Amino acid sequence: MATLIMIILAVGFLFFSIVKSRKKTKESVLIAKKLFLNTFIEVAGVMALVGLVLALLPPDLIKQLLGGESKILSTIYGALIGTVTIMPAFIAFPLSKSLYMSGAHLVTIAAFLTTLTMVGVATYPIELRQFGRKFTLVRNGISFIMALVIALGMGILL
Amino acid sequence: MKKIIKKYKIILIAVVLYAVVFIFKRDIFLTAVSITWDFLLEMLQVLPPVLVITALITVWVPSEIIKRGLGDTSGIKGKLLSLFIGSISAGPIYAAFPAVIVLFKKGASVSNMVIILSSWAVIKVPMILVEINFLGLGFAFTRVALTIPAILIMGFLVEKLVKRENIGEKTRDSVKSVKDIFSRLPNLNCGACNYSDCRSFAEGVFQGEATMKQCVILQKQIQNGGQTIGRETN
Repeated sequence: MATLIMIILAVGFLFFSIVKSRKKTKESVLIAKKLFLNTFIEVAGVMALVGLVLALLPPDLIKQLLGGESKILSTIYGALIGTVTIMPAFIAFPLSKSLYMSGAHLVTIAAFLTTLTMVGVATYPIELRQFGRKFTLVRNGISFIMALVIALGMGILL
Repeated sequence: MKKIIKKYKIILIAVVLYAVVFIFKRDIFLTAVSITWDFLLEMLQVLPPVLVITALITVWVPSEIIKRGLGDTSGIKGKLLSLFIGSISAGPIYAAFPAVIVLFKKGASVSNMVIILSSWAVIKVPMILVEINFLGLGFAFTRVALTIPAILIMGFLVEKLVKRENIGEKTRDSVKSVKDIFSRLPNLNCGACNYSDCRSFAEGVFQGEATMKQCVILQKQIQNGGQTIGRETN
């Protein structure tokens, strides 16, 4: 849905651009093409590695770690697993639900969901190249801590 | 040759690992391939529109507008705008990187950049619907209500800890003059100069393999009467 809106927006802007200046549009398309090829090459390899890790790390194992006796320990596991993996939303939410059904605490799931999307060991090399080491380390570090804070807040509120 | 290997390093590692898994664990290989395939499909849908919009912003939107809307003096409005941009955008966080870098180079503040990146990752309007569906209204709303202030705090903290000049630098130990060349580049890593990123291009220029004229974006700025897209020199 959001993707569709983005595509419509992009096409709309592109159309506008063509009407205003053909030359500038050509330039934009050239830049977009180069950006796409570069990002694709970079991300495709990372995605392949993450795919492999997810295949090796069966959902049952994640369930075991996240649904453990100790709430604190499972929450930390949740945050860590979320950190090292990336999952598209269409996998992450159903998995979270089945985790919940099989006994994982909501706090754990909140930590898992937040680090899953916001902190990325897998996307680290990509972020590093674009933003530099210091920014990447600081952003991911603070995001990880904040994910735990959010999880803690959920534990208090829910 | 060395450059090519460096560029495709991760893909090469992946190919080797997949080959090993293919030989020893055929079923895991197939699962991994199908997961990767889903990732790639998602990427093919999300990346082109995001990058087209990014490129159009690069070419069309003057720095002053970005600076006014998202710069250091944009205040609470800038923060809200950043939250809005991040949460309506589609796609995983890596799709946000090139877009956010463009905004930063045009004058968006560090804090707003972090806010866009983080909200792009965790607060997604369409994703929230899926979340409500699977985990319930209470869970989804509490999570978002806690995440928004957390993201604002993150923006504040990162801005305190990381200086503007530190962003976009990959290594510290390179020769000073490469750095000088690099500092003049837009650092969009668009690759139009046939180097993989701006840093390798700067090294190329330093070693005399390339000239500054090969930087398409820099050339464009000169044509536009010296209007800066790249890092501000203040």
